[in-house]
Amino acid sequence: MSTAVPTVAPCQRCASALEAEDLRCPICGLTTPPPVHGAVERETARVVRCENCGAAMEYSAEAKAPRCDFCGSVTRVETTADPVEQAEVWLPFTVDPAAARAALMGFLGKGGFFRPSGLAEEAAVESLQPLWWPAWSFQAGVDASWTADSDAGSGRSSWAPHAGRTRFDFENIPVPASKGLKVKECEALAPHYQRGSAEGAPRGPEGAHVERFEATRSGARRTVLEAVERLSRERLQQGVIPGRRFRNVHVAVALSSLHTTRLALPAYVLAYRYKGKAYRVVVHGQDAGVVLGETPISGWRVAAVVAGVLVLLLVVLLVMGVFGR
Amino acid sequence: MPEQFEETTVAVSGPRLHLGCPSCGAQLVVEASLRTMRCPYCAAPNVVERPPAAGVPEPVFALGFALTHVAAKEHVARWLKTRSRFTRSGIRSAEPGEVRGVYVPAYLYSVLAHSRFRASIGEDYQEQETYTTTENGKTVTRTRTVTRTEWRSLNGELKGYVADVLVTASTGLRNDELEALEPFDLRGLARYTPALISGWVAEEPSLTREQCLAQARQEAEERVGGRLGQFMPGDSHRELEHESRLEWEALDVCLLPVWVLAVRYAEGAPPLRVLVNGQTGEVHGKAPISVWKVVAAVLVLLVLVVAGWLLAQGGGR
Ligand SMILES: [Zn+2]
Ligand SMILES: [Zn+2]
Ligand SMILES: [Zn+2]
Repeated sequence: MSTAVPTVAPCQRCASALEAEDLRCPICGLTTPPPVHGAVERETARVVRCENCGAAMEYSAEAKAPRCDFCGSVTRVETTADPVEQAEVWLPFTVDPAAARAALMGFLGKGGFFRPSGLAEEAAVESLQPLWWPAWSFQAGVDASWTADSDAGSGRSSWAPHAGRTRFDFENIPVPASKGLKVKECEALAPHYQRGSAEGAPRGPEGAHVERFEATRSGARRTVLEAVERLSRERLQQGVIPGRRFRNVHVAVALSSLHTTRLALPAYVLAYRYKGKAYRVVVHGQDAGVVLGETPISGWRVAAVVAGVLVLLLVVLLVMGVFGR
Repeated sequence: MPEQFEETTVAVSGPRLHLGCPSCGAQLVVEASLRTMRCPYCAAPNVVERPPAAGVPEPVFALGFALTHVAAKEHVARWLKTRSRFTRSGIRSAEPGEVRGVYVPAYLYSVLAHSRFRASIGEDYQEQETYTTTENGKTVTRTRTVTRTEWRSLNGELKGYVADVLVTASTGLRNDELEALEPFDLRGLARYTPALISGWVAEEPSLTREQCLAQARQEAEERVGGRLGQFMPGDSHRELEHESRLEWEALDVCLLPVWVLAVRYAEGAPPLRVLVNGQTGEVHGKAPISVWKVVAAVLVLLVLVVAGWLLAQGGGR
């Protein structure tokens, strides 16, 4: 799939990856090199002809394109395309459905204190759906200019202004594009994928569902840029800006060599029912140790703990009262 | 790293071209400032192609018209009706005349701006202050909380791309007029091809590349200044100064769709020039104010004030 696509040279100014249809670099605005066409030798008058019927063709504001008034055919002009594109890199399932089911049982049986006893035995697994969820992964060099107020070097006011410029290199940063999984789930799953296992086609259990990308190319770029800004802001506050408390953190990023990959990441979504209520659990498709989800809480145990704490408090108060006298 | 512009620029002026119409063979006389011409004999929409010449760059992009002739006229009619009452009589009731769609050449500029700034940042703090005041005839001392500002100097940098700067390349459309018509939605940008302007009037750039480059740099600087204003920390700032180094400049000719029309509202008065953004329908024009109407309104107001004063005086007696 990806081998058939001719490679496009990166942007000459910022080295970001370009698509074949880009007229300008989406990051820095530099015009992409136009297709080479022979220059005319001397001044000539030319009439644009319809490819269909040969009549003279004019641009039509109604059609927003060159249109032939005789046969009505419309010519496409070269504009920046904004398609919805699908995954180009697939990570295979290395956890099979049986292992995923076992992982769920382990998760239910392991139980925290508040989990009802016998949950693993009584819970009925209703569905087990293997799926690939969509995510972008990007790498970029970021030249981040920043200003902020922090407590470092403050004088009479508790804030002092600071400014600086820092370079970050982001590599293989996942940005979830899934609508089916929660952002929190995506963030918990993402670090546990083996990026080296990437393949050009899906490989996994039968009936595995593929969640499609819904954002267009420009929407994807916007989301990635937002992630770059958010991450830069986070990293700046982790040791770059002096001080411990911050406010008015302003970040301006100049990106270079941005490269985005569309990933399909494997996971299992399982649903189980316990005492008439449905719960959802997500098991990682490459690491059965990563299980995310909700479990019922034992009302009795919570009540017992609350009562215990109250009794303890009462005892402490009594003891203090006795010694206080 | 910065891109060099070595080519020298000459203003586009030159003899008219004599070309044969490819449809009927008649002789066309084409103005040097135009890129298109309809054959007066067979009405064929000709697009002129010229060999590359120093300082006369080829268009790289064009934004096609999205607003039809009829819609442009409607926008102008609505605009005329909503002018102020003080415009010269006839304007609000004028009928928009002939509307011409023109592809106006502009330069699309982008750059990597590396700015250094210096500013005084105000950080507020609260302080208790004692003061004396008189209460019930006695002098008492009280305290109050006042907000004061501590000024700290800050040096820093801002590095970023400034893209999408548009400046006019035509003597027919002043840059302030272009700014009034902006923004154009540059997502609709198309790679220039003669089919995009076929049947329409399209101008050649008539301003030199140097003139446009200077204007574009100035606009980029202004944008950086605006960004810096937003970029300052603290509760307030003053004495913000900056200087920018512009790297990696790029300048491309882009044809912009503009509806131009002359509104005749009175005999003898020069027609009012109205421009419409051919993509968004934004209307721009300067409707002249009637001096007489303003003077009359001021007089009426004066008479009312004087009358009111007289009445008040009469009532007070
Ligand atoms: Zn670029
Ligand atoms: Zn046709
Ligand atoms: Zn002809």
